[in-house]
Amino acid sequence: MNEEIARRLGEIEETRDFFVVGKKVARVDALDAVLGRPVYTADLITGRPLYVRAVRSTYPHALIKSIDFSKALETPSIKAVYTHRDIPGVNDAGSLIPDRPLLAYDKVRHIGEALALVVGEDLERVEEAVDQVAVDYDPLPVVSSPGEAMRPGAPRVQDRDNVVTHFKIRKGDVEKGFKQSHLVLERTYRTQHIDGLPLEIEVAYAFWSHDSILTCISTMQNPFDVYNKVAQILGIPKEKLRIIQAATGGGFGPKSDETPIDVSAYACLATLKTGRPAVSAFTREEAMTVQCKRHPFEITHRVGVTRDGRLMAWKSTLIEDTGAYVSKGHLVIGRATFHCTGPYEVPNIWADGYCVLTNNTMAGSTRGFGAPQSHFAAEMMMDELAAELGLSPAEIRRRNVLRVGSLTATSQKVDDPGLEICFQKALELTDFERRYGELKAQSGWPIRRGIGLALLYHGNTLGPEGDDFATVTTRVERDGSITVQTGLTEFGTGAITSLILVTAETFGISPSRIRLERPDTLAIPNSGPTVASRTTAIGGRAALDAALKIRQVIANVASEILGCRAEDLTFHQSKIYPKGQPSKYVSWEEAVAECYRLGLDLKATGYYIAPPTKWDPETGQGSPYNQYTYGALVTEVEVDMETGVVRVDRMTAVYDVGRAINPLGLVSTYESGSIMGLGYALLEHIIHENGRLLNPNLHTYIIPTSVDAPSRIESIMVESPGPMGVFGAKAMGEIPVVLPAASIANAVANATGVFIRQLPLRPDRVLTAISQS
Amino acid sequence: MKQIRLNVNGSSYEVEVNDNERLVDVLRDKLGFKGVKEGCGVGDCGLCIVLVNGRPVNSCLVLAARLDGEDILTVEGLGSAENLHPLQRSYIEVGASQCGYCIPAALLVTHSLLSKNKRPSADEMRRHMRSVLCRCGSYLRFEEAVKVVVGDE
Repeated sequence: MNEEIARRLGEIEETRDFFVVGKKVARVDALDAVLGRPVYTADLITGRPLYVRAVRSTYPHALIKSIDFSKALETPSIKAVYTHRDIPGVNDAGSLIPDRPLLAYDKVRHIGEALALVVGEDLERVEEAVDQVAVDYDPLPVVSSPGEAMRPGAPRVQDRDNVVTHFKIRKGDVEKGFKQSHLVLERTYRTQHIDGLPLEIEVAYAFWSHDSILTCISTMQNPFDVYNKVAQILGIPKEKLRIIQAATGGGFGPKSDETPIDVSAYACLATLKTGRPAVSAFTREEAMTVQCKRHPFEITHRVGVTRDGRLMAWKSTLIEDTGAYVSKGHLVIGRATFHCTGPYEVPNIWADGYCVLTNNTMAGSTRGFGAPQSHFAAEMMMDELAAELGLSPAEIRRRNVLRVGSLTATSQKVDDPGLEICFQKALELTDFERRYGELKAQSGWPIRRGIGLALLYHGNTLGPEGDDFATVTTRVERDGSITVQTGLTEFGTGAITSLILVTAETFGISPSRIRLERPDTLAIPNSGPTVASRTTAIGGRAALDAALKIRQVIANVASEILGCRAEDLTFHQSKIYPKGQPSKYVSWEEAVAECYRLGLDLKATGYYIAPPTKWDPETGQGSPYNQYTYGALVTEVEVDMETGVVRVDRMTAVYDVGRAINPLGLVSTYESGSIMGLGYALLEHIIHENGRLLNPNLHTYIIPTSVDAPSRIESIMVESPGPMGVFGAKAMGEIPVVLPAASIANAVANATGVFIRQLPLRPDRVLTAISQS
Repeated sequence: MKQIRLNVNGSSYEVEVNDNERLVDVLRDKLGFKGVKEGCGVGDCGLCIVLVNGRPVNSCLVLAARLDGEDILTVEGLGSAENLHPLQRSYIEVGASQCGYCIPAALLVTHSLLSKNKRPSADEMRRHMRSVLCRCGSYLRFEEAVKVVVGDE
């Protein structure tokens, strides 16, 4: 950013009120949604394409002796069956780590792994033919849990050690800390597989466009990951491939990992080989089997505290089941371990995080990326310590919470009061301490009420997880309307609307004059992945950069017209005028028209890359993230002591959003994450039994419905600006899903007197816990 | 093949269907009503809900051939960009749509509730909306949108 642009940015941020940022505006894609316009991939298919379906393994771990598809080929209207031999390029579809074949060749490592593709004219015939493919397996011992995988002599899932990553935090002297402690408590917490479950199932539509480019429309978070990988699989030059993201019906992480690559590669391979348009779509069962899940964790904490509740030493072992292929498991374990002591200052820490391969289905990115597991264990640990010491949950947190000047687990200095503000607000709004005390003493039957508290810190955006950059391309048309295009994607989060607002703010024009184009690898530079809640914060910086570059050109022209200095101009409500003199203006349209007359270029690509983060892999010490989102969640529950059913009545969610760019969007995000987190806490569990899935369907895998939602969610926004995000904004997309499990479990403990250390808190588990106490 | 007549969104369509053809396929593929979504094919998720004679029906579970002469409402029949239905307007206003995929079904289910019950209680709304899954968790937004339409807020 040059000096002039930096100065103007300062002006926008400091010297006047925001024009559109922070105001209530509708999402840019809301009209399409309420009209049911044909914008999703399946709506865009025309003519009579070929259909592609995968043949999937029926064993969780087995050698493939042979694949006989002669019978399948005899099925009427079947065009081809492809195996790994038919892949023209590289048979690898791993989104980051190249450990996962698109089509298995020697061995299958999890149930549902793809072995072959059947291509035909008629979908029903294709499905029949899939069943006709005979695979001869030689079953191998199944590694069904990380515990088994880590045992000496355990069968190997891949040709490598089953432990993929050993992630460490070493701070101070943990043994000395235990010696200085009045109480040392050891507890183990367990979390389960869940499916992020975007309601739109994976689907891809491939065809040759008129200019001989293999074009693929699909549903995804990261078009450039799909683009790079599919070009490599097909062995074609990248300029021969074009990936377009259609409107995407939910992401939640799985659509940033493996399955969007697979489904696109299947369709593209068929089109490449046959020359004909092809569609590949998963069934719900297929999607729930192969979509990357939230990693199950086993977390053991040993924590020492003084008599008055000050944390002295914290020792943790985190074991993560990443399934048969790594996907993002090596990064999820990092985030989980960085955050394993919760948002508290602890002088002595020793933590070991292990990412482990098993023959379970893959786990990968799921909204929260290791933080929900980490916070569930840490926040419950805090309540257990408080209970042992006879302190209230608020009191023990007050003594340890990260304040300005505190050092995090990685010894990063906190320079932001966000957490203290959120914590305080949550206590006040819910009258937490009084209510907690009263409910602790209740003796009613069978309905008991409980209130629970949990606090959050969440390292922002990618940090150590990748190149944290974004690009946004903005163009001002001759009539003054604006087109914005980026490879960052909309899949429900609303973040793209924030980019529009940042652009509108910078130009002082209405968001309704800005049009968003679909992400298309032919038209735009790589914008990095749409993950890690980074679109508003990081993408917003790129949108701002693009708009400021254009604004500078327009300001120079306007200054000539108005006879004043460019740096003195204000852009507001479609007018450009010298500061403080709104009547002496040139209209936005006139200034733009003049730029066109002068032949000036009003198109710019904005770019932003976050400052590099530094930490020592041997000790975990350093500054892994540029800024943190903070928060507090208080949950009120009802527990039926006779049935074990837990009902969430009310949630008070207080998050430090840095700057509320789009407050209405944030309310949706708060409620969305709260309800998804409620499902994680109480209902959801993808069950593996010796590597086989028992419930890949929506009648036995239960996600929250309208009757499960809390009666009320208070969405409270605190604004303590961060140094990195646009206008001080902090990451928010994932954040509200992180705390519900911890907060609900603590509320259940308040109601029943029992800490239930395993998710989900299903009625049978709650009943067993009550009866054993 | 059988010739049937479907009254969709106030217009009459003559359409040839197989005995085993599902309503969702006829609406999407033969008549072009892409606002009807499919999310599971077995009646779990409710994304394919349309109103048949005013009542919500999972269109993946119904054979089109059995609906000869019936009235069907899809989201396309609710309103247009120029003339939004009050519910569509309130859905936009309260931020009810996130990924958007369940919105056509959610709108139709809300509409069917309001056409029977002008002032539903929160409990009635919840029980009625239970037939549509929304992974984005917009359930409280749907309630908010109804409040706007019935004039509570």
